[in-house]
Amino acid sequence: MLMEARNQIRVTRQSIQYALQREMLNKFTFVSNILFMIMNNACFIVQWLILYSLKDDVGGYTFKQVILLWGMASFTYGISRFFFRDSFELSETINSGKLDNYLVQPKNVLIQCITSSVEVSAIGDLIYGIIMLCLFEFSIKNLLLFLLCGVLGAFTIVSIAVIVASLSFWFGRTEVVANTVNGLMINFATYPEGIFKGFIKILFYTILPLGITAYVPIQVISHFEWIHILYLGIGTILFVTAAFLFFYRGLKRYSSSNLMNARI
Amino acid sequence: MKKYLYIFQSELMTNLQYTFDILVGFVSYCIMIFIFLNLWQYIYSDPSEVIKGYTMNQMIWYVIVTEILWMSLGGRKLCKKICNDVRSGNITYNITKPYNYVEYSLFSHLGITTLKIFLITILGMLLGIVFLKEFPKLTILSVLGVLLSCALATTINIVLITIIGLISFFIEDANPFFWLYSKLILVVGTIFPIEFFPKAIQPIMKYSPIYVVSYGPAKLFVDFDTHRFIEIIIIQVIYLIIALLIAHLIYWKGVRKLNVNGG
Repeated sequence: MLMEARNQIRVTRQSIQYALQREMLNKFTFVSNILFMIMNNACFIVQWLILYSLKDDVGGYTFKQVILLWGMASFTYGISRFFFRDSFELSETINSGKLDNYLVQPKNVLIQCITSSVEVSAIGDLIYGIIMLCLFEFSIKNLLLFLLCGVLGAFTIVSIAVIVASLSFWFGRTEVVANTVNGLMINFATYPEGIFKGFIKILFYTILPLGITAYVPIQVISHFEWIHILYLGIGTILFVTAAFLFFYRGLKRYSSSNLMNARI
Repeated sequence: MKKYLYIFQSELMTNLQYTFDILVGFVSYCIMIFIFLNLWQYIYSDPSEVIKGYTMNQMIWYVIVTEILWMSLGGRKLCKKICNDVRSGNITYNITKPYNYVEYSLFSHLGITTLKIFLITILGMLLGIVFLKEFPKLTILSVLGVLLSCALATTINIVLITIIGLISFFIEDANPFFWLYSKLILVVGTIFPIEFFPKAIQPIMKYSPIYVVSYGPAKLFVDFDTHRFIEIIIIQVIYLIIALLIAHLIYWKGVRKLNVNGG
């Protein structure tokens, strides 16, 4: 079991490494994609500067906390898009019959399928996240907590993407639904939870786990408490388990296509 | 012109087949409006408060209109399509056909946008009325003026995104330029009216795309004024002509240096 997990990690690492090398063939595009993504994210600072010129706190967050919220959202999004890019294309992979490629490989189908390419611009998101942490308050403790929360949040985002994409096994073309849910996760994650009221807040800590990907990490870094880490850990495990269950339950319904293509 | 109208019509008809996709896209629009509704309700502690000349309801109506214009556009798809056409060499199929690629992109994308903008406008107006229980004071003539300004704004936006996509002739991937453009429009043009920015940069913003593609139509909707209407329409027409000229120039320059490998 341990050996199998180690082999899987090695294959996944190599898969990501080759995908990255492929993207680095054109150095100018590679670097410009990263730089432009950092600039793209930085544009939103203008929005918050204006809002904080109107009011001293927005949704109970200080300006520095909003900076951290953006850093966290960007970092979790960056990890999920860089390492697991294809989880956001999974619906299309299932519908077009491209899953055949992965079924014949002697490794975990889901992991192979979602780690076979990388999104270069996501490196910009990762760098931007770290810059925002530095602007908030840099310390080794904060960095470690930021990385831990970022990884857990990314696993949760990817799990949600897999669960929604797996609906394609039952309902066919669900790309639009998957894109909407994935977009929704990032849209809410960049606004302080204090501006929302009522029922929506319950959703943030249940089926739309923004608590795990954005809000609790801010509390963890601002005022550390073990209970928050426990919540993040348990929540992430539940979502990852649900993703695997959904995908493999759906896979039983998958019917192959005669699509001939090569993975290069 | 007839052939472009035919392209517009066929894209419109094709999109009628995908009404479900458009309806699911409504969810994203509703969510954005929901977020801004909450945000502005938080910022305006008293609904009768006036900030920078806008009441809370005017601010929310402003966002409803700018979001209609932006979300119905599908700019990312258009830019990606043009980039892919250039990078993959597919553009050669268009070069050999008896139409101009710039106009083809414009009318084809207008066809895609028309149905979306129509449906999202209905939704946006309903959301505004339900949540705000108030509609801006508009006459039939001013409604027609706002619609004309919105149509021009969408057309200019498509041409500007086409220009960005055509940059692919010179660098491999023009998508990052689109990210910056979209953030400029979203952050500076969609969320806040120009009056919220420092006075020193307001005159500069009047000459930026933000003024013609989002601020202009939305401002007319929340606070219509005939003098302002004439000014916005004139600037929009000038912008459209210049943008079309630049798009053609980039296209012709790009096509001359195009190399496509057969296969």
